Amino acid sequence: MSEPLLTLDQLAIGYDGHVVLSGISLVISRGSFTALLGANGTGKSTLLKTILGLQPAVAGRIELHAAPGRALIFGYVPQATQFDPLYPLTGFDVALMGAYGRVGPGRWPGRGERDFVRDCLQATGAAGFADRKFSQLSGGQKQRVLIARALAARPDILVLDEPTAGVDVKATRVLLEFITQIHQERSLTVLLVTHDLPLVRKHAQRILWLHDGRALHGTVAELFTPERMAEIFEVEAG
Amino acid sequence: METLKEILAPDFLLRNSVYTSVLVGFACPLVGVFLVLRRLVFMGVALPQVSSTGVAVALSLPVWLHLGAAPHGSNGQTGHLLALAGSTLFTLLAILSLAFMERRGRGLPEGRLGTVYVVATAASILLLSKNRVAEAGWLDLLKGEIITISDFDLKLTAIALALVLCVLGWFHKEILFVSFDRSMAATLGKKVVFWDAALYLLIGLTVSIAVLSVGPLIAFGFLLIPALTAHLFARTMRQFVIGASLLGGLTSFLGFWLAYSADLPVGPTDVVLLGAVYLICGVLNRVLIGWKSIQRL
Repeated sequence: MSEPLLTLDQLAIGYDGHVVLSGISLVISRGSFTALLGANGTGKSTLLKTILGLQPAVAGRIELHAAPGRALIFGYVPQATQFDPLYPLTGFDVALMGAYGRVGPGRWPGRGERDFVRDCLQATGAAGFADRKFSQLSGGQKQRVLIARALAARPDILVLDEPTAGVDVKATRVLLEFITQIHQERSLTVLLVTHDLPLVRKHAQRILWLHDGRALHGTVAELFTPERMAEIFEVEAG
Repeated sequence: METLKEILAPDFLLRNSVYTSVLVGFACPLVGVFLVLRRLVFMGVALPQVSSTGVAVALSLPVWLHLGAAPHGSNGQTGHLLALAGSTLFTLLAILSLAFMERRGRGLPEGRLGTVYVVATAASILLLSKNRVAEAGWLDLLKGEIITISDFDLKLTAIALALVLCVLGWFHKEILFVSFDRSMAATLGKKVVFWDAALYLLIGLTVSIAVLSVGPLIAFGFLLIPALTAHLFARTMRQFVIGASLLGGLTSFLGFWLAYSADLPVGPTDVVLLGAVYLICGVLNRVLIGWKSIQRL
């Protein structure tokens, strides 16, 4: 097995002491593509926030296997719909925020950082509309800018929270192809939250499936069997 | 034009009032843009009122303690510093409590702000009704009559607002980042609670100084209306912040000129002028959008 990047050990997640999901154990290896699946309300977002350190775990632990002397860097790609359109920011302004983790308080990203952000926008195909107002971009264009921002953070792991929400079918396909491409080209670890089964089947290597208070995990081949699917969807196999 | 020359003359009797009004006009919109972006407009209404209650309480203290009155205005620096302390303390307590409750996500934020506003207003009126010091200038302050500003008041206002300007300019990146995307900022190691608190402190200090210098009416007007007006046309944060600040500063000067020329109270003149500019810009913006749509067809 390849080098672990993130380990969840008997993790219990929830809010204010109320457990939403427990007994989650999983190892995410460096360079892997893992999909986090589950219907609405199963705890996907809560698990994601807990992994990102945005809220504490109720029980269990999360081990981050960063290189010695540095913290593990998450390239977080939130849903594009969550941003307030009031902010007069261009796509470039938003992408530049990815570099802020390396720039101390009171200082501004230098030319090198700005050039790197432009490279990230180029890589995600967002350079053409980066000077337009972020709030006026389409769902797919916003996602490309947000992925560029995540890449600008020079992440160890790219974490995408339902990147295809609010994006049309064609743009969804293009976006997922692109994520797969950067995963392969840069050997970048990817954790993708979605409820789109066909996309997961095509792109992901491993799956963490949250269902009915349980967390099932395995490879695509292990989980996409008729028996498992029947169990999850509560229908008879065959 | 004669009036304008008179106002700009270095020996103009009310020069401190002009300078203070313009300083507040430039500075208030700088924090106002964050109130607008964070959708905390109602906080911009409630805080100046809380701040003026703090002034009333602080200036009542010597009377309650039988130490003699410490009136606002020309009667010395002690009264002004006491008022500043009361104003700042009340504003910071209010803003931090409201922010804490906002973070807990319980209850109705508009309801809390409305209650704070109305209770603060009522408390100010009660304090005024029971204190003879009110006659020495509080009512003028509450109405926005900027006529008795001493050199000390002006210096204090200038220093405090310069501090706000420096901190906001220096840490604009951090404050904008945690305002726009808390989650991403947190994952990149930014101390979001610290930067939130820093912004609230800056808002609190600006509101306190503005209320003490020009009263709650003008403070509220300059906190929000220039920012809302500039937002109509701004395509970048830089345009938004600079546009709002310039609009606030210029309008405060024009308002003073108008009020002085027509013998009107300065505060209400400033605010009505700001409202008129907002209305005209709003109509102009709609016309421009309509014109662009027609051109595209």
